[in-house]
Amino acid sequence: MIQPQTHLNVTNNSGARELMCIRVIGASNRRYAHIGDVIVAVIKEAVPNTPLERSEVIRAVIVRTCKELKRDNGMIIRYDDNAAVVIDQEGNPKGTRIFGAIARELRQLNFTKIVSLAPEVL
Amino acid sequence: MQSFISGSIRLGQRQGFSRWRSAHFKSSTGAYLPSQISTNVAHGANNSIKSSQNHILQFLGTRFGSQTKELMFPGSYGGCSVPELSPLATMMSSSSSRCMTTAASPTTDSSESVTDVPARIKFKRLDKTARNIMKESPLFPFILDKEAVEEVKEQREIPDIKPGYIVQLKVEVPENKRRLSTIKGIVIARRNAGLNTTFRIRRMVAGVGVESLFPLYSPNIKEIKVLDKKKVRRAKLYYLRNKMNALR
Repeated sequence: MIQPQTHLNVTNNSGARELMCIRVIGASNRRYAHIGDVIVAVIKEAVPNTPLERSEVIRAVIVRTCKELKRDNGMIIRYDDNAAVVIDQEGNPKGTRIFGAIARELRQLNFTKIVSLAPEVL
Repeated sequence: MQSFISGSIRLGQRQGFSRWRSAHFKSSTGAYLPSQISTNVAHGANNSIKSSQNHILQFLGTRFGSQTKELMFPGSYGGCSVPELSPLATMMSSSSSRCMTTAASPTTDSSESVTDVPARIKFKRLDKTARNIMKESPLFPFILDKEAVEEVKEQREIPDIKPGYIVQLKVEVPENKRRLSTIKGIVIARRNAGLNTTFRIRRMVAGVGVESLFPLYSPNIKEIKVLDKKKVRRAKLYYLRNKMNALR
Protein backbone atom coordinates (compact mmCIF):
# COMPACT_ATOMS: atom_id res chain seq x y z
CA MET A 1 0.00 0.00 0.00
CA ILE A 2 2.26 2.74 -1.25
CA GLN A 3 0.85 6.22 -1.22
CA PRO A 4 2.35 9.67 -1.77
CA GLN A 5 5.10 10.52 0.71
CA THR A 6 6.14 6.86 1.02
CA HIS A 7 9.86 6.24 0.86
CA LEU A 8 10.97 3.28 -1.19
CA ASN A 9 14.25 1.53 -1.70
CA VAL A 10 15.57 1.18 -5.20
CA THR A 11 16.59 -2.26 -6.31
CA ASN A 12 18.51 -1.65 -9.49
CA ASN A 13 21.72 0.03 -10.30
CA SER A 14 20.20 2.99 -12.06
CA GLY A 15 21.83 5.44 -9.67
CA ALA A 16 19.04 6.27 -7.30
CA ARG A 17 19.02 4.90 -3.78
CA GLU A 18 15.82 6.11 -2.24
CA LEU A 19 12.62 7.37 -3.78
CA MET A 20 9.61 9.16 -2.43
CA CYS A 21 6.31 8.44 -4.07
CA ILE A 22 4.46 11.44 -5.42
CA ARG A 23 1.57 9.97 -7.31
CA VAL A 24 0.01 6.61 -8.10
CA ILE A 25 -0.57 6.11 -11.80
CA GLY A 26 -3.97 4.75 -12.68
CA ALA A 27 -7.33 6.26 -11.84
CA SER A 28 -7.68 9.88 -10.89
CA ASN A 29 -8.15 9.45 -7.16
CA ARG A 30 -6.27 6.21 -6.74
CA ARG A 31 -5.14 5.89 -3.17
CA TYR A 32 -2.70 3.03 -2.90
CA ALA A 33 -0.23 1.27 -5.11
CA HIS A 34 0.58 -2.41 -4.78
CA ILE A 35 3.12 -4.71 -6.37
CA GLY A 36 3.13 -4.17 -10.10
CA ASP A 37 1.78 -0.62 -10.10
CA VAL A 38 3.65 2.28 -11.62
CA ILE A 39 4.24 5.35 -9.50
CA VAL A 40 5.73 8.77 -10.07
CA ALA A 41 8.51 9.37 -7.60
CA VAL A 42 11.18 11.90 -6.76
CA ILE A 43 14.73 10.81 -6.01
CA LYS A 44 15.61 11.56 -2.42
CA GLU A 45 19.04 10.00 -2.35
CA ALA A 46 21.30 9.11 -5.24
CA VAL A 47 24.62 7.44 -5.81
CA PRO A 48 27.18 10.05 -6.90
CA ASN A 49 28.49 10.20 -10.47
CA THR A 50 25.50 8.56 -12.10
CA PRO A 51 23.06 9.89 -14.69
CA LEU A 52 20.24 10.17 -12.13
CA GLU A 53 20.47 12.95 -9.57
CA ARG A 54 18.70 13.97 -6.43
CA SER A 55 15.26 15.68 -6.73
CA GLU A 56 14.63 14.35 -10.17
CA VAL A 57 11.11 13.16 -11.01
CA ILE A 58 11.02 9.68 -12.50
CA ARG A 59 8.72 6.73 -12.83
CA ALA A 60 9.11 3.47 -10.99
CA VAL A 61 7.34 0.14 -10.67
CA ILE A 62 6.79 -1.36 -7.24
CA VAL A 63 8.33 -4.77 -6.72
CA ARG A 64 8.21 -5.33 -2.97
CA THR A 65 5.74 -4.17 -0.36
CA CYS A 66 5.32 -4.72 3.33
CA LYS A 67 1.64 -5.19 2.63
CA GLU A 68 0.78 -8.80 1.78
CA LEU A 69 0.31 -9.92 -1.77
CA LYS A 70 -2.43 -12.52 -2.05
CA ARG A 71 -2.48 -15.24 -4.62
CA ASP A 72 -5.36 -17.33 -5.85
CA ASN A 73 -3.99 -20.58 -4.46
CA GLY A 74 -4.15 -19.26 -0.90
CA MET A 75 -0.51 -18.24 -0.70
CA ILE A 76 0.37 -14.87 0.76
CA ILE A 77 3.73 -13.17 0.38
CA ARG A 78 4.95 -10.36 2.52
CA TYR A 79 8.29 -8.62 2.22
CA ASP A 80 10.19 -6.74 4.85
CA ASP A 81 10.53 -3.48 2.99
CA ASN A 82 9.03 -1.41 0.20
CA ALA A 83 11.06 -1.31 -2.98
CA ALA A 84 10.75 -0.17 -6.56
CA VAL A 85 12.61 -0.38 -9.83
CA VAL A 86 13.25 2.79 -11.77
CA ILE A 87 11.78 2.54 -15.26
CA ASP A 88 11.39 4.78 -18.25
CA GLN A 89 8.23 5.67 -20.13
CA GLU A 90 7.98 2.34 -21.96
CA GLY A 91 8.47 0.18 -18.90
CA ASN A 92 12.08 -0.89 -19.35
CA PRO A 93 14.30 -0.70 -16.31
CA LYS A 94 16.94 1.98 -16.39
CA GLY A 95 19.84 0.05 -14.93
CA THR A 96 21.40 -3.23 -15.89
CA ARG A 97 21.05 -5.26 -12.73
CA ILE A 98 18.31 -5.94 -10.25
CA PHE A 99 18.88 -6.89 -6.62
CA GLY A 100 16.56 -8.81 -4.41
CA ALA A 101 13.59 -11.06 -5.12
CA ILE A 102 10.81 -10.19 -7.51
CA ALA A 103 7.23 -11.37 -7.31
CA ARG A 104 5.91 -13.53 -10.10
CA GLU A 105 3.01 -11.20 -10.80
CA LEU A 106 5.27 -8.79 -12.67
CA ARG A 107 5.55 -11.22 -15.52
CA GLN A 108 1.86 -11.00 -16.29
CA LEU A 109 2.04 -7.22 -16.18
CA ASN A 110 4.54 -7.15 -19.07
CA PHE A 111 7.62 -6.30 -17.05
CA THR A 112 9.43 -9.25 -18.55
CA LYS A 113 12.83 -7.56 -18.66
CA ILE A 114 12.72 -6.99 -14.91
CA VAL A 115 11.70 -10.58 -14.26
CA SER A 116 14.45 -11.94 -16.47
CA LEU A 117 17.13 -9.89 -14.72
CA ALA A 118 15.98 -10.83 -11.24
CA PRO A 119 18.16 -13.18 -9.20
CA GLU A 120 15.17 -14.85 -7.69
CA VAL A 121 11.53 -14.87 -8.70
CA LEU A 122 9.16 -15.69 -5.91
CA MET B 1 -55.58 -23.52 32.48
CA GLN B 2 -52.20 -24.46 33.81
CA SER B 3 -52.15 -27.70 31.89
CA PHE B 4 -53.25 -25.99 28.72
CA ILE B 5 -50.54 -23.40 28.72
CA SER B 6 -47.80 -25.72 29.88
CA GLY B 7 -48.86 -28.23 27.25
CA SER B 8 -48.69 -25.60 24.53
CA ILE B 9 -45.26 -24.47 25.73
CA ARG B 10 -43.92 -28.00 25.59
CA LEU B 11 -45.50 -28.46 22.18
CA GLY B 12 -43.71 -25.38 20.93
CA GLN B 13 -40.44 -26.75 22.35
CA ARG B 14 -40.73 -30.09 20.64
CA GLN B 15 -41.74 -28.75 17.29
CA GLY B 16 -38.73 -26.49 17.00
CA PHE B 17 -38.05 -22.83 16.87
CA SER B 18 -40.13 -21.86 13.86
CA ARG B 19 -43.23 -23.16 15.52
CA TRP B 20 -42.26 -21.51 18.73
CA ARG B 21 -42.13 -18.22 17.00
CA SER B 22 -45.37 -18.56 15.10
CA ALA B 23 -48.61 -16.98 16.05
CA HIS B 24 -50.03 -20.43 16.73
CA PHE B 25 -48.74 -20.43 20.27
CA LYS B 26 -49.80 -16.89 20.90
CA SER B 27 -53.29 -17.43 19.57
CA SER B 28 -53.68 -20.52 21.75
CA THR B 29 -52.81 -18.64 24.93
CA GLY B 30 -54.84 -15.70 23.77
CA ALA B 31 -57.83 -17.92 23.26
CA TYR B 32 -57.51 -19.34 26.74
CA LEU B 33 -56.99 -16.16 28.69
CA PRO B 34 -60.08 -14.17 27.78
CA SER B 35 -62.25 -17.24 28.32
CA GLN B 36 -60.87 -17.43 31.83
CA ILE B 37 -61.54 -13.77 32.34
CA SER B 38 -65.04 -14.06 30.90
CA THR B 39 -65.89 -16.89 33.25
CA ASN B 40 -64.71 -14.70 36.11
CA VAL B 41 -66.87 -11.89 34.82
CA ALA B 42 -69.81 -14.26 34.67
CA HIS B 43 -69.25 -14.75 38.39
CA GLY B 44 -69.63 -11.00 38.63
CA ALA B 45 -66.81 -9.76 40.86
CA ASN B 46 -64.29 -7.06 39.92
CA ASN B 47 -61.85 -8.17 42.55
CA SER B 48 -61.78 -11.63 41.12
CA ILE B 49 -60.88 -10.26 37.68
CA LYS B 50 -57.92 -8.36 38.99
CA SER B 51 -56.76 -11.16 41.16
CA SER B 52 -57.10 -13.61 38.30
CA GLN B 53 -55.19 -11.20 36.11
CA ASN B 54 -52.35 -11.00 38.58
CA HIS B 55 -52.49 -14.72 39.10
CA ILE B 56 -52.23 -15.30 35.36
CA LEU B 57 -49.38 -12.84 35.03
CA GLN B 58 -47.52 -14.40 37.92
CA PHE B 59 -48.16 -17.84 36.54
CA LEU B 60 -46.93 -16.85 33.11
CA GLY B 61 -43.89 -15.21 34.59
CA THR B 62 -42.87 -18.27 36.57
CA ARG B 63 -43.73 -20.56 33.70
CA PHE B 64 -41.55 -18.65 31.29
CA GLY B 65 -38.78 -18.36 33.81
CA SER B 66 -38.61 -22.08 34.42
CA GLN B 67 -38.94 -22.93 30.75
CA THR B 68 -36.08 -20.68 29.74
CA LYS B 69 -33.70 -22.63 31.92
CA GLU B 70 -34.71 -25.88 30.31
CA LEU B 71 -34.32 -24.71 26.75
CA MET B 72 -31.11 -25.09 24.81
CA PHE B 73 -30.49 -21.44 24.03
CA PRO B 74 -31.28 -19.55 27.17
CA GLY B 75 -29.77 -16.30 25.95
CA SER B 76 -32.18 -15.80 23.13
CA TYR B 77 -35.19 -16.95 25.08
CA GLY B 78 -34.45 -14.99 28.19
CA GLY B 79 -34.48 -11.92 26.07
CA CYS B 80 -37.65 -12.91 24.32
CA SER B 81 -39.66 -13.73 27.38
CA VAL B 82 -39.65 -10.21 28.72
CA PRO B 83 -41.09 -8.44 25.71
CA GLU B 84 -43.56 -11.25 25.32
CA LEU B 85 -45.06 -10.64 28.74
CA SER B 86 -45.71 -6.94 28.35
CA PRO B 87 -47.79 -7.15 25.18
CA LEU B 88 -49.68 -10.02 26.74
CA ALA B 89 -50.23 -7.90 29.81
CA THR B 90 -51.44 -4.96 27.78
CA MET B 91 -53.64 -7.25 25.76
CA MET B 92 -54.98 -8.79 28.91
CA SER B 93 -55.71 -5.45 30.56
CA SER B 94 -57.47 -4.17 27.47
CA SER B 95 -59.44 -7.37 27.05
CA SER B 96 -60.33 -7.46 30.71
CA SER B 97 -61.53 -3.88 30.53
CA ARG B 98 -63.58 -4.83 27.54
CA CYS B 99 -64.98 -7.84 29.39
CA MET B 100 -65.89 -5.68 32.36
CA THR B 101 -67.94 -3.24 30.29
CA THR B 102 -69.83 -5.75 28.18
CA ALA B 103 -70.44 -8.69 30.42
CA ALA B 104 -73.26 -10.03 28.29
CA SER B 105 -71.24 -10.98 25.21
CA PRO B 106 -67.96 -12.70 26.08
CA THR B 107 -67.74 -14.67 22.82
CA THR B 108 -67.26 -11.63 20.53
CA ASP B 109 -64.54 -10.27 22.82
CA SER B 110 -62.62 -13.51 22.72
CA SER B 111 -62.70 -13.54 18.92
CA GLU B 112 -61.47 -9.94 18.81
CA SER B 113 -58.61 -10.64 21.14
CA VAL B 114 -57.64 -13.75 19.17
CA THR B 115 -57.26 -11.69 15.99
CA ASP B 116 -55.45 -8.99 17.94
CA VAL B 117 -52.83 -11.31 19.39
CA PRO B 118 -50.77 -12.21 16.30
CA ALA B 119 -50.59 -8.56 15.25
CA ARG B 120 -49.21 -7.29 18.53
CA ILE B 121 -46.59 -9.81 19.51
CA LYS B 122 -43.60 -9.81 17.18
CA PHE B 123 -40.35 -11.69 17.50
CA LYS B 124 -37.28 -9.89 16.32
CA ARG B 125 -34.56 -12.42 16.88
CA LEU B 126 -35.22 -15.01 14.21
CA ASP B 127 -31.96 -14.81 12.32
CA LYS B 128 -29.81 -14.56 15.42
CA THR B 129 -30.93 -17.89 16.74
CA ALA B 130 -30.63 -19.49 13.32
CA ARG B 131 -27.02 -18.42 13.23
CA ASN B 132 -26.53 -19.75 16.73
CA ILE B 133 -27.84 -23.12 15.69
CA MET B 134 -25.36 -23.40 12.85
CA LYS B 135 -22.45 -22.29 14.99
CA GLU B 136 -23.16 -23.99 18.27
CA SER B 137 -24.40 -27.29 16.95
CA PRO B 138 -21.15 -28.96 15.99
CA LEU B 139 -22.84 -31.20 13.51
CA PHE B 140 -22.70 -30.09 9.94
CA PRO B 141 -19.63 -27.98 9.12
CA PHE B 142 -17.10 -29.68 11.37
CA ILE B 143 -17.74 -33.18 10.23
CA LEU B 144 -17.19 -32.26 6.59
CA ASP B 145 -13.98 -30.50 7.56
CA LYS B 146 -12.63 -33.45 9.50
CA GLU B 147 -13.35 -35.81 6.65
CA ALA B 148 -11.62 -33.55 4.16
CA VAL B 149 -8.58 -33.24 6.42
CA GLU B 150 -8.32 -37.01 6.83
CA GLU B 151 -8.59 -37.48 3.10
CA VAL B 152 -5.67 -35.19 2.47
CA LYS B 153 -3.65 -36.79 5.24
CA GLU B 154 -4.05 -40.20 3.66
CA GLN B 155 -2.71 -38.97 0.35
CA ARG B 156 0.37 -37.12 1.55
CA GLU B 157 2.34 -37.38 4.69
CA ILE B 158 1.98 -34.04 6.49
CA PRO B 159 4.12 -33.78 9.61
CA ASP B 160 3.23 -31.77 12.62
CA ILE B 161 4.37 -28.18 12.20
CA LYS B 162 4.72 -25.93 15.18
CA PRO B 163 6.19 -22.46 15.51
CA GLY B 164 9.92 -22.63 15.94
CA TYR B 165 10.45 -25.50 13.52
CA ILE B 166 12.83 -25.03 10.64
CA VAL B 167 11.07 -26.51 7.68
CA GLN B 168 11.87 -27.20 4.05
CA LEU B 169 8.98 -27.22 1.60
CA LYS B 170 8.77 -28.34 -1.97
CA VAL B 171 6.14 -26.23 -3.65
CA GLU B 172 4.89 -26.72 -7.16
CA VAL B 173 4.27 -23.52 -9.05
CA PRO B 174 1.59 -24.03 -11.68
CA GLU B 175 2.48 -20.92 -13.66
CA ASN B 176 4.07 -22.36 -16.79
CA LYS B 177 6.98 -23.92 -14.87
CA ARG B 178 6.74 -27.47 -13.68
CA ARG B 179 9.79 -27.17 -11.46
CA LEU B 180 9.49 -27.70 -7.75
CA SER B 181 10.82 -24.75 -5.81
CA THR B 182 12.26 -25.48 -2.40
CA ILE B 183 11.45 -23.06 0.36
CA LYS B 184 13.38 -23.26 3.58
CA GLY B 185 12.60 -21.14 6.58
CA ILE B 186 11.40 -20.96 10.14
CA VAL B 187 7.76 -21.37 11.00
CA ILE B 188 6.65 -18.28 12.88
CA ALA B 189 2.92 -18.82 13.13
CA ARG B 190 0.31 -21.47 12.71
CA ARG B 191 -3.41 -20.85 12.47
CA ASN B 192 -5.74 -23.80 12.99
CA ALA B 193 -8.96 -23.70 11.01
CA GLY B 194 -9.71 -27.27 9.95
CA LEU B 195 -9.00 -27.62 6.29
CA ASN B 196 -7.83 -24.03 6.03
CA THR B 197 -5.03 -24.41 8.53
CA THR B 198 -2.26 -22.04 7.49
CA PHE B 199 1.28 -21.52 8.62
CA ARG B 200 3.79 -18.73 8.02
CA ILE B 201 7.38 -19.23 7.06
CA ARG B 202 9.99 -16.55 7.35
CA ARG B 203 13.16 -16.68 5.30
CA MET B 204 15.83 -14.51 3.76
CA VAL B 205 15.74 -14.31 -0.01
CA ALA B 206 18.58 -12.47 -1.73
CA GLY B 207 19.11 -10.14 1.19
CA VAL B 208 15.43 -9.39 1.81
CA GLY B 209 13.28 -10.96 4.47
CA VAL B 210 10.22 -12.66 3.05
CA GLU B 211 7.27 -14.12 4.89
CA SER B 212 5.07 -16.59 3.10
CA LEU B 213 1.80 -17.97 4.27
CA PHE B 214 0.77 -21.39 2.99
CA PRO B 215 -2.37 -23.43 3.51
CA LEU B 216 -1.18 -26.60 5.20
CA TYR B 217 -3.35 -28.91 3.11
CA SER B 218 -2.75 -27.18 -0.18
CA PRO B 219 -2.25 -29.54 -3.11
CA ASN B 220 0.61 -27.36 -4.34
CA ILE B 221 2.81 -28.33 -1.43
CA LYS B 222 4.41 -31.54 -2.49
CA GLU B 223 6.64 -32.24 0.44
CA ILE B 224 7.26 -30.90 3.91
CA LYS B 225 10.39 -31.84 5.80
CA VAL B 226 11.19 -30.73 9.31
CA LEU B 227 14.90 -29.97 9.61
CA ASP B 228 15.29 -28.58 13.09
CA LYS B 229 13.26 -27.62 16.10
CA LYS B 230 14.05 -24.48 18.03
CA LYS B 231 12.85 -23.90 21.51
CA VAL B 232 10.43 -20.99 21.60
CA ARG B 233 8.13 -19.83 24.30
CA ARG B 234 5.51 -18.31 22.10
CA ALA B 235 2.91 -19.33 19.54
CA LYS B 236 3.49 -16.45 17.15
CA LEU B 237 7.07 -15.36 16.61
CA TYR B 238 6.45 -11.96 15.13
CA TYR B 239 9.30 -10.49 17.17
CA LEU B 240 11.67 -12.03 14.64
CA ARG B 241 10.70 -9.32 12.20
CA ASN B 242 12.66 -6.81 14.20
CA LYS B 243 15.57 -9.12 14.84
CA MET B 244 16.54 -9.75 11.21
CA ASN B 245 19.00 -12.58 11.62
CA ALA B 246 21.84 -12.65 9.14
CA LEU B 247 21.34 -16.34 8.48
CA ARG B 248 18.08 -17.87 7.39
